[in-house]
Amino acid sequence: MQLSLNSLFIVPVIVSGLLLILPSGIARILITITSLLLAALSLYLFCNIQDTYFFSVAPYLNEVVTAFDILLLLFFGWLALQRKNWLVGLLTIAQLGTVLYLIMVLPVQDTEQFMVDKLSAFMFLLINIISGVIAIYSLRYIEEEDCSPFRRKYFLSILFWFIAVMNLLVSTDNLEYFFLFFELTTLASFLFISFRKDEVAIANAFTALWMNQLGGLAILVAICFITANGYGAITFTNLLAHASAAGILLPLALLCIAALVKGAQMPFSKWLLGAMVAPTPVSALLHSSTMVKIAPFMILRLSPALKDTPVAMVVIALTGFVFVAAGIEALAQDNFKRILAHSTIALLALMIMMSAIGSPLTMVAALTLIMFHGISKSMLFLNAGILERVFHFKLASDMDRLGETGPFTSLVLTIGFMSLLIPPFGVFMGKWLSIETLGAFASSTKLFGACIIVAVACGGAILSLLYFKVLGLLIARSGVRDKIRFEKTGVVYSGTIWFLMGLTIASTLSLPLLLINCFVPVTNEILGTSLAVVITGWNLQIGAITLPLLPLLIAFFLLPGTIVAAMFIRFNNVDRVKEYTCGEKIDYSFSSFYFSTDQVTRYFSAVGVLFFVALIIVAVF
Amino acid sequence: MRILLIVFAPVIGGLIVGFERIIRARMQRRIGPPLFQPFYDFLKLADKRKMMVHSSHAFLGLMHFISLWFALAVLLLGGDLILVIFLHLLSTSLLILAGFSTRSVFSHLGANRTAISVLAYEPVLIVIAVSIFMLTGSFTAASVFSYPAPLLFKMPLAFIALLLILPIKMKKSPFDVADAHQEITGGVELEFSGIFYEAVFTAKWLDYIFCYTLVYLFAGSNVTLGIALIGFVFFFTNALDNSTARVNYKQMLRFSLAVSFSLAFVNLIINILL
Repeated sequence: MQLSLNSLFIVPVIVSGLLLILPSGIARILITITSLLLAALSLYLFCNIQDTYFFSVAPYLNEVVTAFDILLLLFFGWLALQRKNWLVGLLTIAQLGTVLYLIMVLPVQDTEQFMVDKLSAFMFLLINIISGVIAIYSLRYIEEEDCSPFRRKYFLSILFWFIAVMNLLVSTDNLEYFFLFFELTTLASFLFISFRKDEVAIANAFTALWMNQLGGLAILVAICFITANGYGAITFTNLLAHASAAGILLPLALLCIAALVKGAQMPFSKWLLGAMVAPTPVSALLHSSTMVKIAPFMILRLSPALKDTPVAMVVIALTGFVFVAAGIEALAQDNFKRILAHSTIALLALMIMMSAIGSPLTMVAALTLIMFHGISKSMLFLNAGILERVFHFKLASDMDRLGETGPFTSLVLTIGFMSLLIPPFGVFMGKWLSIETLGAFASSTKLFGACIIVAVACGGAILSLLYFKVLGLLIARSGVRDKIRFEKTGVVYSGTIWFLMGLTIASTLSLPLLLINCFVPVTNEILGTSLAVVITGWNLQIGAITLPLLPLLIAFFLLPGTIVAAMFIRFNNVDRVKEYTCGEKIDYSFSSFYFSTDQVTRYFSAVGVLFFVALIIVAVF
Repeated sequence: MRILLIVFAPVIGGLIVGFERIIRARMQRRIGPPLFQPFYDFLKLADKRKMMVHSSHAFLGLMHFISLWFALAVLLLGGDLILVIFLHLLSTSLLILAGFSTRSVFSHLGANRTAISVLAYEPVLIVIAVSIFMLTGSFTAASVFSYPAPLLFKMPLAFIALLLILPIKMKKSPFDVADAHQEITGGVELEFSGIFYEAVFTAKWLDYIFCYTLVYLFAGSNVTLGIALIGFVFFFTNALDNSTARVNYKQMLRFSLAVSFSLAFVNLIINILL
């Protein structure tokens, strides 16, 4: 166990170093092998972990962590000076001050700094498998990038280093360590976003930097309060042990702020949208499986303490708002990656909301969403990269007749969007579980719960409208070319996409198994409950909810099956005619429809700020 | 009984359409077509030369009918209401996709408008389903069918909300923007012909049964009241259809979200608080 854990942390770091010096041929083999190894290790860990597993590291590493903290902050300070970005500078000084203060007041840490439980193992699984696929995909993508050979190596190198940081982050118990890894992911996003080095990229990278620094600062201040309130060790476990202590709300609220910033909730959604300028594997990496998932992960960790507190209520209200608002913003978008980014923000809001409610069933819903969203979104983003590289599309409205020019890409995109929308794909199941569990939530919270249900219902409808719009573009064809011939995109592209598509479909079909072996055990461990899954005939019973499996199975063949079949099916004995269109003979050019939503969207950031202020106010009083 | 209703749903729906045409005609002091006119139309269409724009389009129309039938079956067999709403939404989505798949401007307009109609009525239905959950403690239609007291008296506002969105779903004036014949010549339906049109055409009959089943839910286990409600809704929607002019889609969306949705929401709050 310890060995495989250590390899999850150390192997990516070593590989990251090696990638900088090795020639590209060997690097390619190395990356493939490492990705497979990491996936295998995380699978092994997930299957074998039983109880929460604590372990400590050599004491001198505490000093190393502190040293790294300071080095990192100095680097941020240097960046701020170089660009004369006072916001980053100010935040860096504030962070540096707090760190120095903490060094003086913090007692010697002799507790175990790391904790691996089923939730961590679940995150390992997601991080390593998805990032591995993305790494392999990047091999080809970065080859085609217009940059020097060294920068190509450097890109792959940060990618692996980022995987290591993520693995460390989800297994940390000590908050000081957590802060370091949190800031390292911030650094990673900065380096990734500024990779293309043009003016927009650098500006967006700095936006991402200061926003995420705010999150880091929130963690530091939370540590200060924990120490000042005398709760003892600054670990998650200890924090949860003091769940009902006086003054606990403020550190909890601060940690929530850190999570919400990382999860790009409004008004901090700008950094995620700005991250779209980075190379596409980065978008996939930041959006789908890994970095933004820190947000629901943190809330899940804290949920036993958060549950039913005013802080949780504000978080739920904020995410309810964001779920609707991000959907509305998305309706006005045309850039394909931006559509995906907005829908990521909306779905993240749903995940955070479910985690913050903290009842066993909502946690299951959150975990279901985290996993399936990760798979679907990475597939969609990698495909967006292929669209850019192979078909030279960036706008959704350019995709008209993609079904004929690129049937395979169009098929994959269709499956990807359907998996975010249509029963019985996982994301749909997550949404469905959410609405069903919100019913119980509303019985206890009355008016507030009712408003949240309404937000989820409206947001869901808006997202459906958005996905239909894109699906409609994908399915459009003129009927001129009837033969379907899958385009060739190269073995790396098509291999990774096939793998993710297989994973989407396989995981959907094995949802009952995943519920029994994955989502429900993880929930039980976090909450210490004994939620059971029972299969009776064609019904799957989780707690109070019954999932009818037979209609879902039929729905699987009927709805997604139909849309896929519609691309391939040919009626041979039917006469073909041109469109009638009431005899109009004008040649139309078709694109997509948009909604002008500026009247409302301009207020969204302000509302978001209000929620964050409310979060602090309820925590203090 | 329910199985029979499911199996013969298209036939019963056809009869309702036939009857509706007579009633509407009588409201306009006309005699109207015979009761079986929809079936005569059906037979005539079946006899036509088979034509299509392309296979995907034709196939989606066909599957729209089948998936709608499936959604109806799940509802009648007492399935989960949220699931039913989503299944119904998705069967509509197949029609929307069919509309987008052709290169016909009317088809696209119709598909756009259908998608916006979905946005107008889906949140209302979900809120009504949650209200039902608050009352019966379960999301399944079966729990409603066996609920002793009629829901109508416990959630009258939700019933009014449903009444106000039914014209959208049944494509009746003033909310028939999705297939507005005088403007966009039937919208999505336009490019279907022959037996493929038949599927889209009969799917509307199924939609009637679906809507009236939703109305019936409000009677709980009281069959007499259920039939009375259906009769009332039948006359109400037809009278409304005859006496109003079509609004545009923005007005429809605004009305539905401002009035129907608010009614359903107030009802939900009352259900939660009581």
